[in-house]
Amino acid sequence: MSDLWYSLPALAQDIALTFALLLPALLVGALVLRGFAPWPLTRAILWRFRGASVMFVLLIAISVGMGIGLLAQERGLRRGTAQAADKFDLVVSAPGSELSVMLAAVFLQPTDMPLLDGATYDEIASHENVSVAAPLAFGDSYGDAPVIGTTAEFARDLADDRIEGRMWQASDEALAGALVPLGVGESFTPAHGHGDAAEGDAHGDAHLQIVGRMAPTGTPWDRAILLPVEAVWEVHGLANGHAPERAGQIGPPFDPDYFPGTPAVVVRAEALWANYALRSEFTRDRETMAFFPGAVLAGLYAVLGDIRQVMSLMALVTQGLVAASVLLGLFILSRLFRRQIALLRALGAPARFVFAVVWSFGAALLVAGAGLGLLTGVAAASVLSRVVTARTDILVTAPIGWSEIHFLAGFVSLTLLLSLLPAAVVLRQQVVDGLRA
Amino acid sequence: MGLPLTISELVVPGGKGRVLLSLPKLELPAGALVGVRGPSGAGKSTLLYALAGLLEAEGSIRWGETELLRLGAERRTRFRADNIGMIFQDFLLFEELDAGANAALTALFRPRRERAAMRLRASKRLSALGLGDHAGRHVSSFSGGERQRVAIARAMAAEAPVLLADEPTASLDRASADRLIDDLVHLARDSGTTLIAVSHDRHLTDRMDRVLTITDGALLGDEATAA
Repeated sequence: MSDLWYSLPALAQDIALTFALLLPALLVGALVLRGFAPWPLTRAILWRFRGASVMFVLLIAISVGMGIGLLAQERGLRRGTAQAADKFDLVVSAPGSELSVMLAAVFLQPTDMPLLDGATYDEIASHENVSVAAPLAFGDSYGDAPVIGTTAEFARDLADDRIEGRMWQASDEALAGALVPLGVGESFTPAHGHGDAAEGDAHGDAHLQIVGRMAPTGTPWDRAILLPVEAVWEVHGLANGHAPERAGQIGPPFDPDYFPGTPAVVVRAEALWANYALRSEFTRDRETMAFFPGAVLAGLYAVLGDIRQVMSLMALVTQGLVAASVLLGLFILSRLFRRQIALLRALGAPARFVFAVVWSFGAALLVAGAGLGLLTGVAAASVLSRVVTARTDILVTAPIGWSEIHFLAGFVSLTLLLSLLPAAVVLRQQVVDGLRA
Repeated sequence: MGLPLTISELVVPGGKGRVLLSLPKLELPAGALVGVRGPSGAGKSTLLYALAGLLEAEGSIRWGETELLRLGAERRTRFRADNIGMIFQDFLLFEELDAGANAALTALFRPRRERAAMRLRASKRLSALGLGDHAGRHVSSFSGGERQRVAIARAMAAEAPVLLADEPTASLDRASADRLIDDLVHLARDSGTTLIAVSHDRHLTDRMDRVLTITDGALLGDEATAA
C-alpha cells in the first residue's frame, strides 16, 4: 500500500490527500442530505439571518485567510532566500560565524570581517578544481546602496549576463544593480562605511561612473553598486592587486604580493562533487572557513521549522476558536429559528430532515467562509510578499500551495463534522414548546 | 376520506403530578367537523397537540386503525406527515418563500417521486382558495387572511384525512375570518376530511357538527350544533 502511495506522482498524492481530508465531510453531507431537498429552507434561513450570516462568513474568511497567508508567506520567504543564495556555491572567509559571513556575502548585511590575505586567495584561485574565485570587498556605500568590489566574471554571472550598457573596463567604472537610483552615465563618489556612520568625504577624490545596469535578480544585490575590486582597494589607498608594471589590469589573476586582502571569496568548482572537496580543504582552524550558504540556510530553516510548526498550530488553534464561536453562534441562531423547526416537526418532517436543514445552514456558512478565506489568503500572501520584498530586496512570491489547500480541506472537514452538534441539539428541543414560543 | 377518532382514558400529564388534560372517552366519526371551545388555559390546545402526537400521554388515541400513543417518535412523525394537516393561529409561514413554496413545503421531505404530485396539489389548493394567481408572490406581502389560506393549502397538500386547526381565525378581522371559515368548512366537507378546530370564534364553532367544551382540563360539554 505504501509502495503504491510512493509510486504516485506528487500531484496525484496532493489531490488524493485533499480528497481524503474532505472525505469525512462529503460522506456526512451525503448521509445527512440523502433523499431530501432542504436547500429552499436553508436559503430562507440564510436570508432571514443574513446580517449574522455575513458576519460569520467574514469571521471565518479572515481567520482562514490569515492562516493560509502566513503559511504561504513563510514558504515564500524560504524559497526567496534560498534563491538569493543560489549563485553562491561555496564561500571562503576567515574563521568566524558562518551565519554572519553568509548574511554579509549573500544578503549584503554590513558586518566587520577579518581579511584573507593574498597567499590564501592565490591558493584558492589556483586550485585545480576551482573555476571561479571571486573576491568580495565590502565596506563602502553610496546612499542606501552598498558598494561591492568583485570581478567582472562574478558580476556577469550574478546578472545572468543580462547587462544594459556594458561591463566595466577600468577601475573608475561601475555597474548599478537594478534598483540603484543611478542611471548609466552618471557619476558617484562612494562613502566609507554604511548608513549613518558612513564617512561621505573619505573617498572625496574618487569619481566612478556607472557604465552598465544589471538585470533584476530578486536579491539584495539589486540595490548594490558593483565595481572592480581593484577600485575598492585603490580608493582606500591600497595596492590594487597587480604588480606596478601591470597596474592597469582589471580582474584576475591577482598578484599575491600586491593583494591587500578580501573578507570573502565566492568559489565555484569545476564539478559539483568538487565543492565538497574544496569545502573540507579550505576549512582550516585559525586560517580559513569554507561553507555552503545553502547549507547554512537549510540549518536556519530547520531551526525555523519548529517555529513554522508552532505557527501552523497557532493558525489551527485560531481557526478552531473561530469554528467554535461559529458553532456557538449556530446554537444561538438555532434558538431563533426554533419555531420554524417546531413547525417542520409538527408538519411531519422527519428528524433527519430538520437535522439536514440546520446542518446545511452551518455548512453553507463554513464552506462560503472557507472559500472566501482562500481568496483572502491569496490576497494576504501577495500583500505580505510585496511588503517583505520591498523591505528586504529578496524577491518573495507566495502562491498558495498544496499544504494550504490541505490545511483548508482539514478545516472544512472538521468544522462540517462539528456542526453536526448544533443540528443534533436542535432536535432535542420540544416541538410544542417551540410552537408556543 | 377522513379518519374516525376514538379516545379512551386519555391523560396528558403536565409535570410535578399535575394533569393538563383528562378525557375518559370520546368518539368522532370520520369526516366529522368538531369545534373545541373553553376558556384560555383550559387545555384546548393541549388536546389538539396530543391528537397530533406531539405530547406524551397515557391512555389511548386511536385514529382509524392506528394507536397513536404506541408509536415511537419518528413513526408518529411519519403518521403526522401522511395523515394530519395543521393550521396555527399565527400561520407560521416561511416569510422568505413565496406562496407556492410555502404551500408545497412538505414536499421538501417527501420522497423525490412524490414531490411533483405534491406541488401540483398544493397549487390546486391555492387556486381553490383564490390565490392561484399569487403563488409566486412572497407571503410577506400577504394580508392575514391570505396567509391563513396559504397555511390551509399547506395543511391539505398531502391530502391528509385529518385537519387540526388551532384558533385559525384569531388573527384575522371579521370579514376575512368569515371568508376563511367558509373556505375551510367547504374544503373539509368536500374532501370528507375530519376537522377539529380549537376556537373562541362562535362564527367558526357554529359551523361545526359538534362542539366540545373543555374547562380545567376536562370535557364539560359535547353538543351537536344546528349546522
